[in-house]
Amino acid sequence: MRALPILRRFGTLIGFALIVAFLWWRLPDTFMTARNWLNITQQLSMLTVVAAGMTVVMVMNDFDLSVGSMASLAGIVAAMLFSLGYPIWAAVGVALLAGLAGGLFNGVLVGVIGILPFVATLATMTMFSGAAFIVSGGKTISGRVIPEAFGNFARQGLEIGPVTVPNLSMVAVAVVALVWVLLEQTTFGRRLYAIGGNLEAAHLSGVPVRRFKLIAFSLTGLSAALAGLLYASRVASANPTQGSGLMLNAIAAVFLGMTMSEEGEPRVLATVLGVLILGVLDNGLTQMNVDSYVRQILVGSIILVAVSVSALSRSRRS
Amino acid sequence: MAVPLLELENVSKSYAGTPALRQVNLSIGAGEVHALMGENGAGKSTLIKILAGVVAPDSATIRVDGKAVQIEDAASAHRLGLRFIHQELNVVPALSVAENIVMAQGYPRRGGILVDWQTLNRIAKEALERLGVSHIDPRTRMARLSTGDRMLVKISAALLSSDGAPARLYVMDEPTAALTREETGKLFAVLNQIRASGSSVLYVSHRIDEVMTMCDRATVLRDGQSVDSGLLSQITHDDLVALMTGRTVSEAYPPRLAEPSGKIAYDGHGLTVRRGEIVGLAGLSGSGQTELLRTIFGSPARAWRTGAAYVPKERRGEGLALGRPIFENITLPHLGTLSLGGAMLMPRRERLFAADRGEDVRLRAASVKQSARQLSGGNQQKVVFAKALSGDPSLLLLDEPTRGVDVGAKFDIYSIIREMTTKGMAVILASSDLPELIGLCDRIAVMRSGRVDTIVDARLTEDALLNLCYGRGPNAEAA
Repeated sequence: MRALPILRRFGTLIGFALIVAFLWWRLPDTFMTARNWLNITQQLSMLTVVAAGMTVVMVMNDFDLSVGSMASLAGIVAAMLFSLGYPIWAAVGVALLAGLAGGLFNGVLVGVIGILPFVATLATMTMFSGAAFIVSGGKTISGRVIPEAFGNFARQGLEIGPVTVPNLSMVAVAVVALVWVLLEQTTFGRRLYAIGGNLEAAHLSGVPVRRFKLIAFSLTGLSAALAGLLYASRVASANPTQGSGLMLNAIAAVFLGMTMSEEGEPRVLATVLGVLILGVLDNGLTQMNVDSYVRQILVGSIILVAVSVSALSRSRRS
Repeated sequence: MAVPLLELENVSKSYAGTPALRQVNLSIGAGEVHALMGENGAGKSTLIKILAGVVAPDSATIRVDGKAVQIEDAASAHRLGLRFIHQELNVVPALSVAENIVMAQGYPRRGGILVDWQTLNRIAKEALERLGVSHIDPRTRMARLSTGDRMLVKISAALLSSDGAPARLYVMDEPTAALTREETGKLFAVLNQIRASGSSVLYVSHRIDEVMTMCDRATVLRDGQSVDSGLLSQITHDDLVALMTGRTVSEAYPPRLAEPSGKIAYDGHGLTVRRGEIVGLAGLSGSGQTELLRTIFGSPARAWRTGAAYVPKERRGEGLALGRPIFENITLPHLGTLSLGGAMLMPRRERLFAADRGEDVRLRAASVKQSARQLSGGNQQKVVFAKALSGDPSLLLLDEPTRGVDVGAKFDIYSIIREMTTKGMAVILASSDLPELIGLCDRIAVMRSGRVDTIVDARLTEDALLNLCYGRGPNAEAA
């Protein structure tokens, strides 16, 4: 019984260490190399950005299903503006604004009108996805219309000694740092956690709950749009479904992270560990040539095990 | 003397070190309607849960017909003939009266598959008639019944559920809480029938008048200990009140330290409160006390800034984020002044501040980093108080501030309120606990149907205040 709380707090971390150890053992030459890890961080940068943004709304016990569609839409918006001859800064700016506006719309639906986040963001997920198809005409936008500099951003990085840290990874780290400061070091973050802890008590304590929901959802939308742009840069193209895998993985990463905190609240650094678990597993299993469907089953099982251990020890305690 | 139907001896139960029941005794004869009385938090519900097999006592001797028995779970309580009619009626509103009555038994079947509606309705009709109830059609949807009629249906269902073990004792928890006078009359007729049939009733109530009318004897719980009243026909109303409160009202409250000053701190909605004054809000439940406090408080963000503070009624639902640390709960309304430029947190300063404020309210916690969930009810309420008092408010609004709080913490809270008034704070205190209002307030505003009806000096008797709550003159005979 004494081992249980330790298992609950650190079980996910221990699990991550075991996964790394296993992959290191099975892939002695390729897995534990700086190159591979930089590669992993680059692969994970989009998911990291979305998951960090998702953490912000999940702190309030809400969540956002529309992030994947928003990522696709933002990529499409930027690519369309490129094809119309707008400069990079303008296209990127408008795409980010679209994310902010879409997130604000979610915030209005959830915070002002009072629709359950599941229902509200399920609806906007469909809407954003439809908008992406309409704007792009259903086609992938690629080739010469995408400015070279935009595509190059993802391919380049900062050279530190013998290694090159990819730009995408640095953007992801910067976003995580910003979200960490916001959630852990500011009164804004504290009040968000208060809303998540007890919405009515937060309201009666003077927290402007409605305004906070608007801001939080806007930030989540913004981060989704940023992730969409990173994705578009990485593949130097945009198509209306390319962000669709991000949403479920982002929620899964936050849930994995939540298993590591005392009261089961989301923490952005824990979310990053959740992202790493998903990403490292994917990277290693791919290298081991494990069938992608088997990979899906494995990833799903790991999420279930982590959350079950957490839920069981919690119910034991009360 | 005949062997009692049910005897409880030396029942003790503690929750996390806080005793809820201390060597409680209870004895009920056959054919007796026995009252179980006591103030909120006196241990009534714990005792009932032990009888129902829901809560295991730390120690207890239980005898039925003089034979020692164990009540391990709900099934063994049922086998012993104990039937429970709970305060919140567990009915299925979408189903018919008859279905609600036979639900526990299972529906009668035709050919093992189809429901035999005819038999089902007949069983239900007979069950109702056994109570002398003929005005309820078993085919009516439960949702269309009044609360009183639902109560009657529940009782007949309890009467019917005698598979294997006949019903011996009905435990009714505040059965008249939601009943009209007429419905109460019907219920009393049913109680008389049960008594005549030789079964017994444990009647849980804090309505003294009802108990004096209907019950044969009473057991009074006070701070977890029991007192047997003896035959109610041989004692007076006042004797019973004295048994329940056990002390003269003034002892339980810290002395008044200062007189209110002349300056007016709040004026509006028919209320004037001076600095240093405690004004009570009395009234029957649902007369608008909570709503008035919320109206006075107004928009929370502005209220905190302008020096008002509010302790809401539902500690867990409205007062605290249980999963958050104590200090975060205390500082939440005051983050603006406890942070750098209102934006960046200063957790160390917050923790020191919260620890100080916790000390002010005699908070007992290992650390302010603990989550509020880990505290007892009384200490949780002290956290709510620390949060309210942290901004040195000029107006403190309290809604049932001692509900579900143990006696020791109660006295602490009373002392805190008193201390704050010496610093010039004005207090508006809504409470359903009449002795609390009388013991603590300078004046009491009696509310009826959503507004302040009369304001009286708090030096009056409980009966007089109760009469005012019912809209009668203070000296009217209790009905």
